[in-house]
Amino acid sequence: MTTTTSNAGRSFRDLINRAGIGMALLGLVIFFSVTTEHFLTPNNITNILTQITINLILGVGMTFVILIGGIDLSVGSILAFAAVIAGKAITLPGLGPTEAILLAILAGVLAGLVCGLLNGFLSAYWSIPSFIITLGMLNIARGAALQVSDAQTIYAFPKAFEQFGSALIFGIPLVFLLALALVGIAWFILNRTVLGRMIYGIGNNEEAVRLAGHSVFRYKMIAFSLCGLTAGIAAIVYMARLNIASPIAGIGFELNAIAAVIIGGTSLNGGRGSVIGTLMGAFIIGVLANGLILLGLSDFMRQMITGVVLIVAVVLDQFRARYGRAA
Amino acid sequence: MRAAGNSGAQRILCSGGKSAQAQQHGSDAPDPDVLRVTGLKKYFGGVKALDGVEFSLRKGEIHALVGENGAGKSTLIRVLTGVHSFTEGTITLDGAPFAPHTPQQAKARGIQVVHQEFNLLSHLSVAENISIEALPRTRLGLYDRAEVRRRARTALDGIGLTDVDVDATISTLGIAHRQLVEIARALQTDSAILILDEPTATLTDREKLRLFDLVRALADRGVTVVFVTHHLDEVFRICDRVTVFRNGKTIATEDVAGSSPAAVVRHMVGRDLALTPAPRPPVAADAPVVLALDDFRVTGSRAATGVTFELRRGEILGIAGLVGAGRTELLRSIFAVDPVASGTLRRDGAVVTLASPAQAIAAGMGFVTEDRKDEGLILSMPIAANTSLASMAHVTRFGLLRDGDEAALATRQGAQLQLKFGKISDAVSSLSGGNQQKVVLAKWLATKPDILLLDEPTRGVDVGAKAEIYTILRDLADAGVAMLVVSSELPELMALCDRILVMAADAIQGCVLPQDYSEETILKLAYGQT
Repeated sequence: MTTTTSNAGRSFRDLINRAGIGMALLGLVIFFSVTTEHFLTPNNITNILTQITINLILGVGMTFVILIGGIDLSVGSILAFAAVIAGKAITLPGLGPTEAILLAILAGVLAGLVCGLLNGFLSAYWSIPSFIITLGMLNIARGAALQVSDAQTIYAFPKAFEQFGSALIFGIPLVFLLALALVGIAWFILNRTVLGRMIYGIGNNEEAVRLAGHSVFRYKMIAFSLCGLTAGIAAIVYMARLNIASPIAGIGFELNAIAAVIIGGTSLNGGRGSVIGTLMGAFIIGVLANGLILLGLSDFMRQMITGVVLIVAVVLDQFRARYGRAA
Repeated sequence: MRAAGNSGAQRILCSGGKSAQAQQHGSDAPDPDVLRVTGLKKYFGGVKALDGVEFSLRKGEIHALVGENGAGKSTLIRVLTGVHSFTEGTITLDGAPFAPHTPQQAKARGIQVVHQEFNLLSHLSVAENISIEALPRTRLGLYDRAEVRRRARTALDGIGLTDVDVDATISTLGIAHRQLVEIARALQTDSAILILDEPTATLTDREKLRLFDLVRALADRGVTVVFVTHHLDEVFRICDRVTVFRNGKTIATEDVAGSSPAAVVRHMVGRDLALTPAPRPPVAADAPVVLALDDFRVTGSRAATGVTFELRRGEILGIAGLVGAGRTELLRSIFAVDPVASGTLRRDGAVVTLASPAQAIAAGMGFVTEDRKDEGLILSMPIAANTSLASMAHVTRFGLLRDGDEAALATRQGAQLQLKFGKISDAVSSLSGGNQQKVVLAKWLATKPDILLLDEPTRGVDVGAKAEIYTILRDLADAGVAMLVVSSELPELMALCDRILVMAADAIQGCVLPQDYSEETILKLAYGQT
């Protein structure tokens, strides 16, 4: 959405919108580079990239949902459910490693997609706030994960699978490159396709889109399905990284994903934002977490500061929204 | 009921009348006017909402305020109740200058308003709603429930609402009772002037009678009532004087006894119509019927019989009627936004059932909605994206956007409508009202429709753009597009349309042909006076 703007108010808004996030990230990087010894080392950078990968993947899907004015609280639970399903698939007896891995990826991603589809169908069909539906799904998927796995962690995966999780290409984790590819695909969908246009349109003015003859229901379904799909992909990455499939994985991940999207400048009211912002948001959260620990702060302090950053981001969003109305 | 109302009103005035009494003692020749407005002007930027208003209120009168939509009635009320400040002029209340900056200040001076849309908290009780502005507390600072209930009982009895339980939840009450609760709330705080903004819009005949009794009783006790209404029969039924607004100016203030509905209508619409119709040759009688409705009823229709009419190729058919007559609902049902209750719709002679706006568009229809901000445009998105919204197939391939095609489409449509813009990628919100409306038109013209439904096509559009839009619509009709135009501005309909249907209560009251065009004729049909 490159809306070229003419008047001062809008360009000011754009400045905060775009440059603001990048500047904040740059500022953090410079700050931690100066104040800590190890921040700007190759090892640590690899670390950060690994740490933000899952949040970034979840954030990409969440961006779609938040852009249409919805929210998805269930992605953490869906991740666990998809992981358990994939874990069951990958440990099925009598499969060769390649078949097992392919089946696991298919099963996990599909499990995520189905959960997302359900979220979308239920909230769009009956016009129930997605907050409620996905809160339900948060419990359903978590319960299902525990039920299917008998509350047991599944492990002992093929070697190749573990290698995928830990592979580095020029020091960059393969899984991060995968996440980056998802960002690219999402950017393309949002900016270059009818689907993307409709998602922004629905977030801004659902009624206008409906009256122009488009199925708002269908596009809402797609947005939630994509969010479930990314949760399934995140589940596979999670398994490959940790070599386990745990039914209690991903607790609270939904909040981090939402935080990444919001810090990235996407409006909770929908219609405004970008997946590039989400990339920045995930980086800000990851850099803060890493840098603060390098500074010697406790994990508790890190959590508090991340919270403050989130609130500041939302306050800025309100400010932007008000500015937008006035302009 | 009436007796109860009178005694109650008296009780209210025991407290409310004090200040008035004191004032009368203070002067030898009491000024009959409690409120006087002279030369009042209110500009919003360059828009003159009020442009020299003269208005006065005598103590204890019922004063009707009438005028077409946008004449300035609401603005005057907002100024008097402290919502808006005014640009120029003077207001005196009880002989002293009056310029409220907040609604609280206006209330403190005894000016209360009951709005058309209610300001009640629907999940709280009647009693809580009545005291919501200043909840009483016990000596311990706790919420004084007994006092709240007692005040509510007094207030309700005061207007004869002895049958309403103060503990009832607002949502369990009917519309009429909710309004009466609002009036009770307004009156409990020593009102000297009570403004009722279209109080009868949602009431049944019996409820109206009860309201009129109440208003008369209040006036008899010295409360001054301002009665804003669209219904002239009400003016002549209960009001003492009537003030007519047009285009932000006071046209006349008359004693109702010495006036007539015809005279008031004449004041309302005026003679100096800026947009006089250049006559259009009549549509050929053998022009094919492109759209026909037969006993077509919208969901929730109040009429026993449905709407029936035929629309021919190249014809501009107007639909007149008051707000709430069911005009917008009719257009929405034709366009399959809302479900149809019964009846048939024929398109080019064939009966069709449209299930969604997408199917209506596929059937060659377009719908310019009443509210372009809420329903017509995606304000923060570019002109190009808004123009292509209803014809995405023309600017995409395999689900991918083709920016070049989209920009070309928007530029072409924009040029046809003489759209004034910076860049085609500018957000629609950067355009003026008239140009925004042209983008809505461009969006529908891009679908190459045979039939255009237009709801208030020039609302919020300046006079110049208005004339341009008229020209566009007439050119379209000459090119064969059939149009249904809903408008509250009668000059607009008379300037544009080949025929005008007049609606009231979801039914067509009559059809007016060009040789009979006059605002009196149309308004009489719309007001149900035959």
